[in-house]
Amino acid sequence: MSEDCASEHCITCGDIATPMTVVMVDPDRGLALCEADDGTRESVEIALVDPVRPADRLLVHAGTALAHQEGDL
Amino acid sequence: MRFVDEFRDAELGRAVAGQILSLVEPGRHYKLMEVCGGHTHSIYKYGIDDLLPGNVELVHGPGCPVCVIPMGRVDDGISIAHTDGVIFTCFGDMMRVPGSHGSLLDAKAAGADIRMVYSPLDALRIAKQNPDRQVVFFAIGFETTAPSTALTLKRARSEGVPNFSVMCSHVTIVPPLRALLESPDLRLDGFIGPGHVSTVVGARPFEFIPLDYGRPVVISGFEPLDILQGIEMILRQLAAGRCEVENQYRRVVPYEGNLRALEVMAEVFELRPHFEWRGLGFISHSGLKLTDAYAELDAEVRFGVPGIRVADPKACQCGEVLKGVIKPWECKVFGTACTPERPIGTCMVSSEGACAAYYNFGRFARDREVV
Repeated sequence: MSEDCASEHCITCGDIATPMTVVMVDPDRGLALCEADDGTRESVEIALVDPVRPADRLLVHAGTALAHQEGDL
Repeated sequence: MRFVDEFRDAELGRAVAGQILSLVEPGRHYKLMEVCGGHTHSIYKYGIDDLLPGNVELVHGPGCPVCVIPMGRVDDGISIAHTDGVIFTCFGDMMRVPGSHGSLLDAKAAGADIRMVYSPLDALRIAKQNPDRQVVFFAIGFETTAPSTALTLKRARSEGVPNFSVMCSHVTIVPPLRALLESPDLRLDGFIGPGHVSTVVGARPFEFIPLDYGRPVVISGFEPLDILQGIEMILRQLAAGRCEVENQYRRVVPYEGNLRALEVMAEVFELRPHFEWRGLGFISHSGLKLTDAYAELDAEVRFGVPGIRVADPKACQCGEVLKGVIKPWECKVFGTACTPERPIGTCMVSSEGACAAYYNFGRFARDREVV
């Protein structure tokens, strides 16, 4: 893990994805503002899981949502 | 209680461990490989191997994207980073991977403009903010990360960002697994399949393992109970004489994968004839490059990288660790000359690397009681 990376699993360094909650959707740009469980927010590509709505739970890796989540994980 | 707590419940974990114990035959040794570095990390963080009978051995596979990048590739990245006017971007772990003359972090200290990003989209943003500079993204990772790079390349083209390019070092998971299965010095009984790679590729690409090699595969999640249940499902198959691909991680992994992701990857990437893996050597059709349609965004074309092959340091035994032939602590330099602060081999760099996982979580149990 990078010394610059505060999370235990680096969101991007390993091939492991992170659950995030959709806060706001920008359909014109194909992006959603998402929040991780630790409160970190980032813009996420949603092209692979569209349509998404606020409060949806997504599995995000390297800034891209890969899947909707059935449960909380 | 958070939903996640259920997947970390110690009591449930012990119950699954009890089922595992009931499934193993005394006197038989079981060697199971967890393909994904994320699994390796969880196994040592939660002490999952301590819950297993002594005759169930976990072997750490090649699924850490940082660990498999060869030194020559790091040297190529550094050579681009030292080009005038370039902003070189990469994920955090990649900064510390040693090349033959130091890491990207060393190159940054020597004056190169190298920046850590959390996604390729961040790198594209830097390119838009710096139109007078060339911004290169060092893309690494398996099929989990590759769709993100592919989408960013499409976005760069549609938004017209001419100063952005990608040095593509993405790899695919199936060819190294086939190489491992062909390896004469490694006997495996089953595989814990990669959870998040499978959200993209699905379960189908792993069907060759039971079909051609007669080994079970169980795609598993990353929480302690996921991994324990994955192991239990493999052992249940072995006990019943079954051999198939099963999906423990159904709450996230569809059998067919993410078809849109596969489509966008097919548009942007094509397979290289061969790609060098640290410790595993050249493996055919295992690396991705940009298709001709995206050649103008290919940093290797734009900057003409040297592409020199560099042998791994002699003392480093990452290859044997990646193949599961030796345990991290059996490497000659583990914890002495090679530490997470000053890594010699890539397995000590990333938190997903087998050596770093052992080192950071102090998992040195070498002789467990055999059932």
